[in-house]
Amino acid sequence: MELLDADAVIMDRMTKIIREVLKPGSEPLTLDKKFKEDLGADSLDVVSLLMALEDEFKTQISDEEAATFTTVGAVFSYIKGRTGLTAS
Amino acid sequence: MTRRVVVTGIGVVAPGAATTEAFWNNCMAGVAPVSPIPAHWNSFAAFSSTIWAPLPELDYAAHDISRVERMQLDPSSLLALIAARQALHNANISPTLVNEKKNALALNGVDPNRCAVLCGTGIGGLTSLIFNQSNHIVSPLAGSLAEMEARLVADTDRGALLPFIKNARSGIRMPQRFNPFIVSMTMPNAVSANIGIKYSLCGPNTTVCCACAAGTVAIGHAFRTIRANLADFALCGGAEYLGDEFGGIFRGFDTAHTLVNAGTDPATANRPFDARRSGFLFAEGGAAMLTVEELSHALSRGATPIAEITGFAETFDGYNIMIMDPSARHMRRMLGTLLDSARTSFSEIDYVNAHGTGTTLNDDIEARVIGDCFGNKPLVNSTKSLIGHTIGAGGAIEAAVTALSISRKATHACKNLDDPIADLNFVRRSGEFQISKALTQSFAFGGHNAGLVLEEFYNRA
Repeated sequence: MELLDADAVIMDRMTKIIREVLKPGSEPLTLDKKFKEDLGADSLDVVSLLMALEDEFKTQISDEEAATFTTVGAVFSYIKGRTGLTAS
Repeated sequence: MTRRVVVTGIGVVAPGAATTEAFWNNCMAGVAPVSPIPAHWNSFAAFSSTIWAPLPELDYAAHDISRVERMQLDPSSLLALIAARQALHNANISPTLVNEKKNALALNGVDPNRCAVLCGTGIGGLTSLIFNQSNHIVSPLAGSLAEMEARLVADTDRGALLPFIKNARSGIRMPQRFNPFIVSMTMPNAVSANIGIKYSLCGPNTTVCCACAAGTVAIGHAFRTIRANLADFALCGGAEYLGDEFGGIFRGFDTAHTLVNAGTDPATANRPFDARRSGFLFAEGGAAMLTVEELSHALSRGATPIAEITGFAETFDGYNIMIMDPSARHMRRMLGTLLDSARTSFSEIDYVNAHGTGTTLNDDIEARVIGDCFGNKPLVNSTKSLIGHTIGAGGAIEAAVTALSISRKATHACKNLDDPIADLNFVRRSGEFQISKALTQSFAFGGHNAGLVLEEFYNRA
């Protein structure tokens, strides 16, 4: 999928965090990738990722929202849908 | 044959110093970091003491500590990790990355099953708990205030109340999220556990929790563990972080009338063993970790011993949870046992790194006991006269100073000592001294008395 410029900025910042926390090696972080099944994350890794995303995007993610974060695409949609989160 | 135990690496983080060398240079130059307490603490209470010894800005990334570790570890563990990394580097041990996701390492040249970790702490991760409890307790109130503010904005009759609500909301200090790792951040054993996890060390791993003596006792227990052939190598010391968001821990010591009165000259207010002392200088935190090894283990990997640990002893007052036994009989018994343990005598000790807090009663008792036992021959100084009191890290930092004083044949002055309370050989100027055999001692709330004997290393083999 071709990303627009603004989307590419979100994707860059988001994938930087995912790589920093999950260390998935050279695995391409496409939107369909599942954190547990494809990227080797355990439940604590997912919590760590959540905290790192909150830190990076200066936001608060509720437990209900976090429960939907099973794929790279789900996180991307969440960040894209939150006004102001793309500003660094 | 008795197994000999040597110190081969030292790592220190202290008020005013992020590295061992910066710390040592500050000590020798008499640099004492003293600052007003954080201004916002004063909105919570009227404190009697108004100064503290802050830590420097710490570059965690430069110490291989990841963002995830910073978010999931209490500062006491982070300080312990920074000190441990320095100690390993000083001991010429280069860790290898073994788990990139965990940012975990392994030590080359040592058997992980024969590596112990013994770290002391007074309060463990209490500051993290305090901050997160504010989220737990205050969140409902914060929500109510936000709702009230929204209603007042639309209510022209009662709009005058708006500034008060805004002011109340602006004063709320809490983390946005209740940290899901708060249990593992708070538990005191985390300081040792995190070192063991970071370096994949699987020998005995224990946190020593006995307040101001914790660092000394942790090193002593590491010494005993190696002597007893239960390990060949240990990372040992102490770590403490006391600067909670609200100054609540500071307030606890302040309310107990233990802290220094800033007086008219805060820079010279902290004065252990001086007639005008008024209490101890509260430190934000600190850590010191030592690598200690069985001698042949150290020599076989080419390490250079900095000093040898030859004795350790601990006793307990059984007297009062916060007051030192004025008779000092168990302090004296500790010293006697300590010298027996090191197979030496009072007359052979060249240097005593005293507990030296600067509180009225403690300094009186300690000075009397030093005079009675050692006379005025050995050099005596108080590292707390420079960096204040780091509680569970204090004994470890002072053991580091003692080892460095032996190996570098120099030590620091007892800062701000103008009118000594006893005729002891207090170090009045930093400089070169021949120190072959030294003692460091710590006394703690609860009633703990502990000491270590360190000596110049000679290869007698």
